[in-house]
Amino acid sequence: MKKKLLSVVLATAMVASLLAGCGAKTEAEAPAAAEEAPAADAAAGLAYTGEIDFMHFSTSEEAEGNGGSMGFRTMIDEWTTANAGITLNQNVLANDEYKTQIATLAAADDLPDVFLLQGMNTKAWADQGLIMDMTDIIAQSPYAADYNEAYFAPFKAADKTYGLPALTGGTCTVVIYDKQMWKDAGFDTFPTTWEDVLKAKEYFDGEGVDTIAFGNGGQWQINSCFISAVSSLFVGTDWYLSIINNDGKANFTDQAFVDCLAFTQEAFASGVFNEDFNAITNEDAREYFIAGDAAAFVGGNWDEAYITSTIKEADAAKYENIGFATFPGPASATAAKNVQNIGLGYAVAINSKVAEDPDKLAACVDLAYKLTGPDFANYVATNYALGGLTKVADVDLSAFDSVMVDFYNWSYVDTTTCEIFDSYLDGSVWSVFNSEAQEMLNGDKDAETVAADTQAAWEASK
Amino acid sequence: MLRAIRPKGKTIFLYLLAPMIWYLFAVFVPLITALYYSFFEWKGGPKKTFDGLVNFQHLVQDTVFWQSFGHNLYLVAICIIGQIGIAFVLVLMINSRLVKLKGIHRTFGFFPSTISAVCVGLIWKMIYDNKRGLLNWFLNVIGQGDKTQVWLNNTEKVMLFVAIPLVWQFIGYYMVILLSAISSVDAEIFEVAELDGANAFQRAIYIVLPLIKNTLLVCITLCVSGNMKAFDHIYSMTEGGPGYSSMVMAMYGYKVSFQEMNLGYGSAVSVGIFITSLAVILAVQKLINIYTKDKGVE
Repeated sequence: MKKKLLSVVLATAMVASLLAGCGAKTEAEAPAAAEEAPAADAAAGLAYTGEIDFMHFSTSEEAEGNGGSMGFRTMIDEWTTANAGITLNQNVLANDEYKTQIATLAAADDLPDVFLLQGMNTKAWADQGLIMDMTDIIAQSPYAADYNEAYFAPFKAADKTYGLPALTGGTCTVVIYDKQMWKDAGFDTFPTTWEDVLKAKEYFDGEGVDTIAFGNGGQWQINSCFISAVSSLFVGTDWYLSIINNDGKANFTDQAFVDCLAFTQEAFASGVFNEDFNAITNEDAREYFIAGDAAAFVGGNWDEAYITSTIKEADAAKYENIGFATFPGPASATAAKNVQNIGLGYAVAINSKVAEDPDKLAACVDLAYKLTGPDFANYVATNYALGGLTKVADVDLSAFDSVMVDFYNWSYVDTTTCEIFDSYLDGSVWSVFNSEAQEMLNGDKDAETVAADTQAAWEASK
Repeated sequence: MLRAIRPKGKTIFLYLLAPMIWYLFAVFVPLITALYYSFFEWKGGPKKTFDGLVNFQHLVQDTVFWQSFGHNLYLVAICIIGQIGIAFVLVLMINSRLVKLKGIHRTFGFFPSTISAVCVGLIWKMIYDNKRGLLNWFLNVIGQGDKTQVWLNNTEKVMLFVAIPLVWQFIGYYMVILLSAISSVDAEIFEVAELDGANAFQRAIYIVLPLIKNTLLVCITLCVSGNMKAFDHIYSMTEGGPGYSSMVMAMYGYKVSFQEMNLGYGSAVSVGIFITSLAVILAVQKLINIYTKDKGVE
């Protein structure tokens, strides 16, 4: 019996050990944030000659057709060439794996020297002393005057800034549509009201194509690529700031937000979207649009980059017909119009422990300046008509085709912008919201319950 | 073993030392650390706050955890019947004199269990795909188009659909174990039973089953422990969705720990998985013992 019990204990121990969390190295306090930022004097060269561990997610695959990633990789190459005495140890993972890996390293207090910080982790990691306070570093940057201040918001906690926003300012919610297909349906441009979308659906149903393709298999898409922008139509853009600032004026249970959830549920029950929206990812859904199985697609700038580059290669005529629009709300949603959520979701951050070695810190700061400074901004503006943290005075759009110009104007000129909502709040809030929203889209949960449970998760996270 | 050639105890100990240290490091250290962290409010990083049994109080009332536990039990039940049951039937068929090319059957039967779980998940995700999937295509071909559906978005049956790939993958694994057990049984016993007029079903129930009881018990224990930690198939097919419809305990532990960054509670979930798995394995073994004693098998 003892042997049997032992075998049972060993078997279950194997089960549990596979699930046990990773351990923290120490409970000791992390070093204090850098009190003085090192001067960024590139001309004087860097004194540091050792190694820098750097983790990011701009893989070569990601960079194909993605201006932000390509620019990021180009800046890294230029920096390593200019600083041959420094060994930059890069750990480059695909985005999904990156998020898990960096969270694991943060939990173990073992973050790399330089890495990309996601907005939603800023407060928690700052509280833990894991990330360096870069307020002074940013203020002393030679490019400080040209930084777009609005992009810093997700990386601030208690009036301190913990990162230099990186990559390109891209939308998370863009409707990409085939102008010809919508013209055939009787619409010269994408409808500006939900009621018109429903009219178009009748036509597209007859043609055997989906009106709009969307993929929420990963659960986060409904939040990042739909509700984050569409809710502005119901609650207005100030509501977000109130939630972010936690000033007590806004709650997830506010009727306007519940109305937005109810509209979302109704929209997904209407048959406008592909019926398998909850079982496929955005990567699958965009293939429906590329293949002509859907007349439009809703996704983020990363999807736009993939769709345009793929169609450009495969079908020149279809490429010329690509159009961009904001998602239309019902006539009752009047708090805002023509809204999309744009920002920089990640920032270059520095491990607080780097402060122990001033020379190394100077090198890390120099790398951060390079990755987010004018070289990067000019590269993405010149080659991809995209914007980064540093403003570019006059972007010459004459070298780009009409689709790229359209997307530039849509992203930065013609639309009202709101914050990328999920960049700010704790992951525990979104974990609850995303799971329950998926059930809501299936009709298994009502909007009030989702709002109440999200509110409870938000209050618990404070 | 003959005493003359048996190595000294010290030699055996030294040979076993390295794997034992590795085993302790890989199995027991994480288990103990998980237990330790489960007493803290810990969002990751160096700072954590001791909060006693708060995480466990939360765990007891956590409906998602218990829903996930129910899903694990469902998987265990389906897989014991599907994996071991079908494997047992297949083994009897392969052992039959009528079946030719037994080696090929064994090899191809075992083949799926060599594929990584994520690949199996992706393959089956493609089979279940709504627009381009094999299953809906087949239903359309045979004129049953009205039965097509978004398989992995069916809240009520999604657990069954994610269990099927698990069953498919591991039938061969248990088949090989059971084949080796049956091979060790003297063939004369079967011949005598056949001469005495026992049919195939009677031979399976009253001769084969009792003789391989201990192996079967190992198979069931492996099956239970394997399915109590099910993660990768489900992660690659549904990520626990829609909503929490296919959420299992390991997936929930991962979600709490790495998406919500609530590592203290995530550790409590791990401890919860350990305790519930232990209880389920003990209960299953007890049931088997009661059942086999009733049948006069020992």
